[in-house]
Amino acid sequence: MKIKTKDWKRKIIGGLCLTSIAFVFQACYGTPQDFGNDLLVEGLVKSKKTGLPIKGIKVSVADKVQYTNTNENGEFSFYIEKLQNTKIRFTDTDSTQNYLFSNKDTLVTIKEPLQTSKGAKVYLNIELENK
Amino acid sequence: MIRLLKQTLFREFRKFETKQHELNYLFWECTTRCNLNCRHCGSDCSKDSMHKDMPLDDFLKALDTIESPAENFTVVLTGGEPLLRKDIETCGREIRKRGMRWSMVSNGYLYNETNHNSLLNAGLGALTISIDGLESSHNWLRNNDKSFERVDIAIGLAASSSRLNFDVVTCVNKHNFQELEDLRKYLIMKGVKAWRLFTIIPIGRAKEDEEMFLTENQFKGLMDFISESRLKNDIDVKFSCEGYVGRYESKVRDSNFFCRAGINIGSILIDGSISACPNIDRTFVQGNIYTDNFFSVWQTKFNIFRDRSWTKTGKCAECKEYKNCQGNGFHYWHGEKKNVLVCHNEQLKKATNQ
Repeated sequence: MKIKTKDWKRKIIGGLCLTSIAFVFQACYGTPQDFGNDLLVEGLVKSKKTGLPIKGIKVSVADKVQYTNTNENGEFSFYIEKLQNTKIRFTDTDSTQNYLFSNKDTLVTIKEPLQTSKGAKVYLNIELENK
Repeated sequence: MIRLLKQTLFREFRKFETKQHELNYLFWECTTRCNLNCRHCGSDCSKDSMHKDMPLDDFLKALDTIESPAENFTVVLTGGEPLLRKDIETCGREIRKRGMRWSMVSNGYLYNETNHNSLLNAGLGALTISIDGLESSHNWLRNNDKSFERVDIAIGLAASSSRLNFDVVTCVNKHNFQELEDLRKYLIMKGVKAWRLFTIIPIGRAKEDEEMFLTENQFKGLMDFISESRLKNDIDVKFSCEGYVGRYESKVRDSNFFCRAGINIGSILIDGSISACPNIDRTFVQGNIYTDNFFSVWQTKFNIFRDRSWTKTGKCAECKEYKNCQGNGFHYWHGEKKNVLVCHNEQLKKATNQ
């Protein structure tokens, strides 16, 4: 689906009202509008040694509470806040259950995202070393 | 002079917006189940709703009829209590897959660290949580002794996220009116950036309860409280878009009153009905997603929302401020629709003996 740009006439008339706030609204019993300050981070975590996907790796935003875990296929997907630089941390939290892997940090910068019609997106291919 | 010029320009802007009627904001009443039994509930929700939750696929089929979604188009999940749905994150992700954004209105009771994390992961962008006073007043209105304790946790979590566009709403009533300043201080202490204040609509369970409704002087007091709080600049306090408040317009909101129901705001209700805001009288329903194409209904119907001249009746008929107000919030038209249920400006005039 194509996202259309706001009509320029709307901006001019709204601007003449001496308030850009005219475009920002919320329904009485609704939420504020979301201006999309996030990006989708997806990826795959594999063992550097075997090349096999690793499940149960904690993928977190460093210094924040937000995290997700890799699935059976070593895949993960989550939306994070769009910042200039965001450190994504990969941590083996299930101990020796499926071998033991070293932790890894990777930096996502705001220049990296692929802008699609469905929003900003980053794909990470991560290899973890065995301990 | 500047005020008059701004009003005139805003009326032109409103006309333009009405003609364009771009769908920016879509409520989805995804459940009418609720874990609370609030005294002021306008929808009469209950723990065992007569309606089953709408299947996600049914909603998505309707959503997929939207040809070119507007920039910043947002789906607002509401209820009932949306967090009672087990598939809420899946709902959010499916909306995001379509390049759209989503947000949620919650009473906060079930909002904990686990679902705060999973909702952010699923691309939740905005959140509104209700708090209706300090502990005793909030628990009284919510009919639940643990409600404040739980909403306190929810507010703390939501306010800690710099990603979320988060605000808190409060329904002001006779019970909590005297503690607004303390509530303001509490919200600042919790790190809340934005606070919206409402009055209660005389519908649903609230209708027969006098405790729910402010006197004219209290309503003026509320406007003064909001005006003064906005000057302090420590939290973004505003009056909701529920109604036109005359000379207070520029003091209590960022923009002039403009009820966008059916103009930029649509809804898909629990039974598939297509309307504007969910609190609007259900006799205004324009179609149903199970029998009609949602976007076609949005584009071709909704005339009653976009031409409000029919509201120039009852006390609105002779009102000198009708051109700025246009019949107050659409949700104040119920039943026979011969008169607006509440006129905020009239209340203010009575309070100041104008």
